[in-house]
Amino acid sequence: MAATGSLTASAPVRGRPNRVTLLRIGIIVAVLAGWELLSRSGWLYRDVVPSLFAIGKAIVALLSSGEYYFHLGVTAGEILAALAIGGVLGLIVGLLLGGNRFLAAAFESYLYYLGPTPKIIFFPILIMWFGVGPGSKIAMGVLSAFFPIALSVAAGMREIDRVLIRVGKSFRATTWQMATKIYVPAMRHPIINGVRLGLGVGLIGTLLAETKLSNKGIGYLIIQAYTLFDMPRMYAMLIVLFVLAIGANALVGRLGGLSNIKRR
Amino acid sequence: MSKASRGPNALAFAVGIGCLVVFLLVMEALIQFGFVNRFIIPPPSEVAMSFERVIVEEDILHRFLLTATECLTAGVMLTVFGVIGGVLLHRFKLLQQACETWIAAAASAPVVLMYPLFLVIFGRSAWTIIMIGFVAALPPVILKTLEGLSDTRRVLVNVGKSFNLTPMQSFWKILFPAALPTIFVGIRLGLIFALINIVGVEFLINFGGLGQLINELAERYDLAGTYAAICFVILVSVVFFMSLERIERWLRPAH
Amino acid sequence: MSASSATAPRSASPPQPGEAILDVDHLHVAFQTPDGPVIAVEDVSLTVRKGEFLSIIGPSGCGKSTVFNVVGGLLTEHEGRVSVAGETIVGPHPSIGMVFQEESTFPWRTVIDNVAFPLELTGMPKAQRLERARHFIEMVGLQGFERRYPGELSGGMRQRVSLARTLASEPKILLMDEPFAALDEQTRLLLGDKVLQIQQELQQTTLLITHNITEAVQMSDRILVMTYRPGKAKRIVEIDLPRPRTSEIVGSEAFGRYVAQIWADLREEASRGLTDDETSRNRGSAS
Repeated sequence: MAATGSLTASAPVRGRPNRVTLLRIGIIVAVLAGWELLSRSGWLYRDVVPSLFAIGKAIVALLSSGEYYFHLGVTAGEILAALAIGGVLGLIVGLLLGGNRFLAAAFESYLYYLGPTPKIIFFPILIMWFGVGPGSKIAMGVLSAFFPIALSVAAGMREIDRVLIRVGKSFRATTWQMATKIYVPAMRHPIINGVRLGLGVGLIGTLLAETKLSNKGIGYLIIQAYTLFDMPRMYAMLIVLFVLAIGANALVGRLGGLSNIKRR
Repeated sequence: MSKASRGPNALAFAVGIGCLVVFLLVMEALIQFGFVNRFIIPPPSEVAMSFERVIVEEDILHRFLLTATECLTAGVMLTVFGVIGGVLLHRFKLLQQACETWIAAAASAPVVLMYPLFLVIFGRSAWTIIMIGFVAALPPVILKTLEGLSDTRRVLVNVGKSFNLTPMQSFWKILFPAALPTIFVGIRLGLIFALINIVGVEFLINFGGLGQLINELAERYDLAGTYAAICFVILVSVVFFMSLERIERWLRPAH
Repeated sequence: MSASSATAPRSASPPQPGEAILDVDHLHVAFQTPDGPVIAVEDVSLTVRKGEFLSIIGPSGCGKSTVFNVVGGLLTEHEGRVSVAGETIVGPHPSIGMVFQEESTFPWRTVIDNVAFPLELTGMPKAQRLERARHFIEMVGLQGFERRYPGELSGGMRQRVSLARTLASEPKILLMDEPFAALDEQTRLLLGDKVLQIQQELQQTTLLITHNITEAVQMSDRILVMTYRPGKAKRIVEIDLPRPRTSEIVGSEAFGRYVAQIWADLREEASRGLTDDETSRNRGSAS
């Protein structure tokens, strides 16, 4: 997407922008040429390294098929639903933990240690609970996205500069004003960062669940390409998926103004 | 710590455990009295009982060692390639300017989705699993190494210059030791990512150690066994993180 | 004064000096710490008169910030009575505006939105509050920076934003806790000039907490010297220097005499603080 293009272009290129650009082009050309050579040499099994032409053709075919967009829509819907549910749950739990020392001491270490465990192994259970359709995929995404958002919000709330709260109190802000004008804006970076992390892992959770058991969605298409041994199509789908994922990540960061933090 | 702060923490810890126990008891009661279908959620007591069965019958030690070996192999590769990559990027600024954003972007891509591709390349072998663990966890190791080297305090480097250290000496005596704590943070993150992805792929491709165990039990429709195995894997990963944290804390004061 | 009278009506009628507005009566504050109770402030009484600039000076650890928090209504657990125009303080009082020692601008708001913050809380319409905010931004000399974010400003400018924000709430009493402590010496002097100028222009009743003697003498009508732990009122010094003052007064002979006099008082207290610090540090390293 457009965001990835600008992501690359906005790299620190102080001083010698031309040499950096040249090097980048050089690296890209070298990788592509090496790939093409490998593909033609026949050293690997045929089709494991398809020619660039075949991959390009597959990308075009993919992007011009209505079926792909249907599956993309299904997956995107699942991820958005997962992010919305996981985000709201994470926000509530994060605010509770961040605002209350006792609750944090009692429960936060559970979240902290459960956060980085492999969530996909819960999938068999989630199928039992939510069925084989999109429900179990959304649940998978929620389970993945919840932890980083909750932990990030809790930590963000504790890190609010105490003096800003005193300022609000000295101006006799009401509870609602304190929440909307001080707490939430002061926590905007941790919240956005949590959403970003949550999006990343929620996306993986949802897609992996789709590859395991489903009949629609991008994960399903990837597994279908694998069973049909259609390698160019699989490469095409992975490339498009990565571009979308990286773009979505950069977009969330940009919406939250994360790129401006360092300058300030 | 003072006595005053220890009291409430112990109480909080007890409340945390207590809530967990109460939750399990309530679930047990709900299931036993038929409010919750026991063929969807098995009673906690049944899960606890099947621990022994899963451990004895499913050769869990062997599976654990298999997963551990995969993690270890991926971890060694991560450390070697990640740290070398970070050092190279730090050494050649032009390369860093060209590639750092790419690596950061790669870190946000769902790399683990490449597992069907790796299946084709490496076959249904441990190498597919190890390579996914390696590739998915490589970016944070490189980035953290780079961060550690770049953030070394200028004055330390200048101290080295004042002693007329060669660039090689300056790297080994100053830069690298100063960056080591941050590098280890990167390796720890890398190992966590590797473990998550390795267990996940084991489950998905039904091959290898602990991940496959869950898949097999689920396919056999052994509900209590599945729950027990999941608990076991979660326990193993939590112990794994805790020990990594311990090692990190133990390394830190040395710097 | 004429420039501000249009939007700051309270300064239009000059206050009668001498009329007490803030009254601290036998203030006593103790904190519970792991090592037992510590008395921060012991039996401090003081009166601030309308239009007066009063400073509280003392070595670090004398409990002057505690006085700040009590008068500001942020610390309510104390003995004794603190009242504004006869009203006992039980929480942040609308007549008192606080400027904090720490960096306290909102990094997510522009300068003008920072200054308009207290007006926004009262529900003043946007156009009106921005206009008033602009007036106070001008007063602290930040015109042209309205649309900047605090992160783009220097520390001294950010502190001026905080000052303007507090002034915008039009407090009867301006309460400041070492507002220049984090700044370098030149900035501190220039900002001190600004505060002095504004205070004289608005006839603003001000209570300044500081540990800087020059600053205190330069600005104050009266200075309360506090003792080191527990903080007691040691002496009140009347500063009889001509007004309006600027930082140029620092060079005068009378100024030097006041500084020397206060230093003589403070020196004993500060050195007590120093030895206390060292013994506690030695104790810390021994255990």
